[in-house]
Amino acid sequence: MLTYIVRRLLQLFIVLFGVSIITFVMLYVIPGDPARMLAGKNATEEKIQEIRVQKGLDKPIYIQYGKWLGGVLQGDLGESYYLQQSVGSMIVENAPNTIQLALAAVLIELLGVPLGIYSALRQYSFWDTTLTTAALIVWGIPVFVLGVFMQWFFGLKLDQWLGVDIFPLTGAGDNVLWVIPASWESLMSLVLPAVTLGVIEVAYISYMQRASMLEVIRSDYIRTARAKGLAERKVVGKHALKNAVIPVMTIAGIDLGALLGGAILTETVFARPGIGLMIYEAIGRRDAPVIAGGVLFATVVYVFANLFVDLGYAAVDPRIRLEE
Amino acid sequence: MASDEHDRGREPVTGLTEVEGAAAGAAVAAAPAAAPKVLSPWSDTWRRLKKNKLALIGLGIIAVFIVVGIVQVIAYPLTDGRGLTPYDPNAENYSLSPTGHGSSPSLSHPMGTDYLGRDILSRALVATRISLLVGVIAVAIGLIIGLILGPISGYYGGFVDTVIMRLADIFFAYPYILFVLLIMTVLGPGFVNVFLAIGILGWASFARIVRGQVLSVKSMEYVEAARAQGASDLRIIFRHVLPNSMAPVYVTIAMSVGGAIVTEAAMSFLGIGVQPPNASWGKMISDYLNYLFAGSWWMVLFPSVLLTVTVFGFISFGNGLRDATDPRLKE
Repeated sequence: MLTYIVRRLLQLFIVLFGVSIITFVMLYVIPGDPARMLAGKNATEEKIQEIRVQKGLDKPIYIQYGKWLGGVLQGDLGESYYLQQSVGSMIVENAPNTIQLALAAVLIELLGVPLGIYSALRQYSFWDTTLTTAALIVWGIPVFVLGVFMQWFFGLKLDQWLGVDIFPLTGAGDNVLWVIPASWESLMSLVLPAVTLGVIEVAYISYMQRASMLEVIRSDYIRTARAKGLAERKVVGKHALKNAVIPVMTIAGIDLGALLGGAILTETVFARPGIGLMIYEAIGRRDAPVIAGGVLFATVVYVFANLFVDLGYAAVDPRIRLEE
Repeated sequence: MASDEHDRGREPVTGLTEVEGAAAGAAVAAAPAAAPKVLSPWSDTWRRLKKNKLALIGLGIIAVFIVVGIVQVIAYPLTDGRGLTPYDPNAENYSLSPTGHGSSPSLSHPMGTDYLGRDILSRALVATRISLLVGVIAVAIGLIIGLILGPISGYYGGFVDTVIMRLADIFFAYPYILFVLLIMTVLGPGFVNVFLAIGILGWASFARIVRGQVLSVKSMEYVEAARAQGASDLRIIFRHVLPNSMAPVYVTIAMSVGGAIVTEAAMSFLGIGVQPPNASWGKMISDYLNYLFAGSWWMVLFPSVLLTVTVFGFISFGNGLRDATDPRLKE
């Protein structure tokens, strides 16, 4: 177990190293001279050169990378080119909204578990067909399309019909204790983006849960349990459920990891402050330190979520061995 | 892939793909031998696929999409960019948009017209061209790289395998939409660059799948027999190993085409994909967004529906194909 964790951590650092190098190379070859952009339109060549030296942009890429990596290892992600703020503090500022959104979306997507189990237990019934068809259709809706229509319908039309403003179109509210909406308005501003992400994931999760449950109830040990004369309720509840749900939980865990790194499209559609929008705007401004730091943050969260999911899987399912 | 926020095609169902992939692969390879009646793998797959109505609907949608797309791809150069459509997709006609908000669907314009009086149906039809091209070209790029690196990795193992698979790990861990966005920023906007960006990122899933398959079949007797007869490595890989390990690859192709179409739409929606005058469903959605909120719902609705239906087609068929080729689901 310990050797496994050590090996995974080692692999993980190779991955993070690779991701940061790829990011750095991309930022380096993006057309345009950051020093010139920073200096403004009417800057003199001397001024541009001064900024170039000041930001270390005159050095070759491997020196710049080395300097950045040295900073990262000491917990310093550098400073934004445009906002007089450190990248670390920008992440700390934006993370709560993203964490809140990710948690809410994953909570919603877990509704797919009972739906999928119900479908599987009544395979080929009317409700199974309906649910499965609906799941595949919803799964096919691009998240930005759903977001746009949620905004239009619940943010705009509903308000016009009812005459009261329930869901704000964009933005996010204040939080207490980092991730808990501090007010009714704040909670309402979370609903549309969370449901947008969550509904699509519900479709996916329920489809996967159905498949997983179908596989389990066809397995030999379930046949044995039935042959022993166990009540169907016990067969399903005690023997099948756990093994069918665990693999789907790992999907939810990985989703959480991915969403914690920022849901770029959803956050952009809803103009909702968060890690995704922060990186998206930084890309628009060519704000290299923010992009590099943001990508690193998102990747770290994702790969560690994956690691925890694998460890958790092994912990609850003794059939899984973690040797390789 | 479920939501386009992160690409499902690249995501292992459990964290432990290698073990599972190999086991499933072994089962795939073993299946033909175990079948009592000799059926070719394809007729068997088709027999099982036929029973799955959703998969058939998906196949029908894909067929229509491909036919319409090919017609537009061929018509585009012949008609000087107009495409084969009821109206000129770029012809502005202000009498059809008297208040600057287009006109709602009617018999002559079943999907309505946009703020410049352009026919939405015609624009949506030409846009099929971009979606078909991105689906084919982007996935082909990823597939070709994956089909070269995957077998090398699985067949030779050792150091080469480690390097290729760690590289794949890096590509899997990199946040997908961010990766595409950054590559697009490097390459600059434009639809060819979207194909490239999506294509470059697609190889890792193909390489990983093929590698797993190669691992599971390479020690099988028929491969050893080929080796004993003095067949070269290349011949063994491409003549004996690959043909017997393609089923999961076909599933991934179907899912990836759907994914590529959504990603192109997302990039065009964000404004860095397809540039005017080229029409793309994602670009139409973003161009008409303000008009949706001003009350002209048809401009955004129809491209959205076409996009969703097309993606549904690929997901539905891909899932059906997966079930039909999964030996564990055999009766």
